[in-house]
Amino acid sequence: MKVIKKILTWVPLILLALVSLIPFWLMFSMSTYKSEMIFQNNPLIPSNFLMENIKTIMESNFVHSYLNSLFVSALAMVLSVIVCSMAGFAMTVYQFKAKKFVNTLIMLTMMVPTQIGIIGYMIEMRNLHLNQTLIPLILVWIASGFGAYWMTSFIQSALPMELVESARVDGAGEIMIYLRIAFPCIRPGLVTLALLQFLWSWNSYMYPLLFINKQENYTIPIFVKSLASAYRTDYGAQLTGLTLATIPILIFFALGSKTFIRGLTAGAVKG
Amino acid sequence: MKKNIRKYSFTWPIIFLAPFFICFFLFNLFPILYAFYMSFLDWAGYNEKVFIGIKNYIEIFTRDKVFWRSVLNTLRIGLVGFPIALILGLVFAAILSNIKKLKSFLQTVFFLPYLTTPVAIGMIFVFIFEQHIGIFNKLIEFFGGKAINFVGSPFWAPFVISFMIIWKNTGYFTTMYLAGMTSVSEDIYEAAKIDGASALQTFFYITLPLLKNVTIFLIITSTIYMFQLFDEANLLFTNQSMGTVGGPGQTSLTIVWDFYNQAFGANPRMGYASAMSIVLFFIIGIVSMIGLKLMNGKEE
Repeated sequence: MKVIKKILTWVPLILLALVSLIPFWLMFSMSTYKSEMIFQNNPLIPSNFLMENIKTIMESNFVHSYLNSLFVSALAMVLSVIVCSMAGFAMTVYQFKAKKFVNTLIMLTMMVPTQIGIIGYMIEMRNLHLNQTLIPLILVWIASGFGAYWMTSFIQSALPMELVESARVDGAGEIMIYLRIAFPCIRPGLVTLALLQFLWSWNSYMYPLLFINKQENYTIPIFVKSLASAYRTDYGAQLTGLTLATIPILIFFALGSKTFIRGLTAGAVKG
Repeated sequence: MKKNIRKYSFTWPIIFLAPFFICFFLFNLFPILYAFYMSFLDWAGYNEKVFIGIKNYIEIFTRDKVFWRSVLNTLRIGLVGFPIALILGLVFAAILSNIKKLKSFLQTVFFLPYLTTPVAIGMIFVFIFEQHIGIFNKLIEFFGGKAINFVGSPFWAPFVISFMIIWKNTGYFTTMYLAGMTSVSEDIYEAAKIDGASALQTFFYITLPLLKNVTIFLIITSTIYMFQLFDEANLLFTNQSMGTVGGPGQTSLTIVWDFYNQAFGANPRMGYASAMSIVLFFIIGIVSMIGLKLMNGKEE
């Protein structure tokens, strides 16, 4: 009986772990191949072309695209975390008449499928003369409905009102309270949201596809696509670029993984 | 004193809420409203705008077979993918919650697919399901089966996309469910044990009902995601030299891909695409409203 239970536990776990890891491994392993050689060998075993592939992408504007992606995602992350946590702070700390209504409004914003407004967004950005820049890729992420909903429920469970009130008695201003009292209390929530926002913006595909038409503005997904031409698609180089693009996400996640999962747990209590 | 209260019930809430709602209006809501206006136009994006009333909508509802097929395609891909991912997520969360060793390590491993760039997922899955050298077909041949041209087949291609969804989301759902399970108090489980409930009984009669909120949340967000499916489908086919719209037999043409193609394809119809997006908006709106009702229902 014990053995059966062990098998029923570990066989599925190992299977899922393999299924999760193999595509990852393939991405890395295939990035060590010369494009034409990938299909002639067993791509599960790495080859020796990684340095050449890195050289290839370095010679085109990979570094620049990488920095563009970092710039866009970092800014989108910071702005949306600030804006959403401010909204969550307001929904927790203050009592006001329309609170229930605003709460429903936030829920609704979470359900608005932003992506389908993309034509209107394009024309809006064109009229603001921002369509040749990276700015549109940032602005669209700031007011994340999910973020505001998430921060509201998180702050409600993590920020004790007594703390806020005693700070007020001590003469602290509201902005001070938000920065000095609330921020430390809601750190796991902030980290969780920051990671998700960075991830979504970093991986976003449709917005860059539509808004970027100059090489100097390429972000990583568009850069990788640009390595495919009518004559030759350099799969090896593409996968090298993608592998390198996955690294910052992995580092962020590894650093924040404990806090991230704690943040998810705390948010789900309210769920 | 009165002024002081007003400060906390009026001025400060507005100051703290304003950035969110202003940004939301400017960059998320206004574009949709603008699309609503454009849905009454015949416009290619560069020529003269012509007001044509509700003709675009009439075309969508009476003549546009491709649009409705794309709705069916999207449902087919999503309804195969998400429920399986959801069930697997629940099962794996249940298994993980019962082990001590390696728990957080495995949780992290399972979460990795959610972190991967769709561009990478698209490329790798093309390789995995490739007919002659793909690992999956190697596996089939190893077990004595016959290799299948998955990505090139009108029947199988949508399943590959469903599989991408399952691959990507199972770990995410596992983490969410596990989070929900940890929030269930230990006392309840203790009490169930004392009453002599088996592990399965505990799971079905205690854990599952308490996970209702997480489940509803995941179903709503997945549904919204499903209707906006684009990256996975598009990336499975665009990296290849033949840039077909919708994959083989157009069975992988999702709603948003169809919309994208109408708006920015070879023959752009911005007005018509806008009307499509508004129809999609209402489809998602209705589904979300039902979800919102379910979510609010728990509070009463």
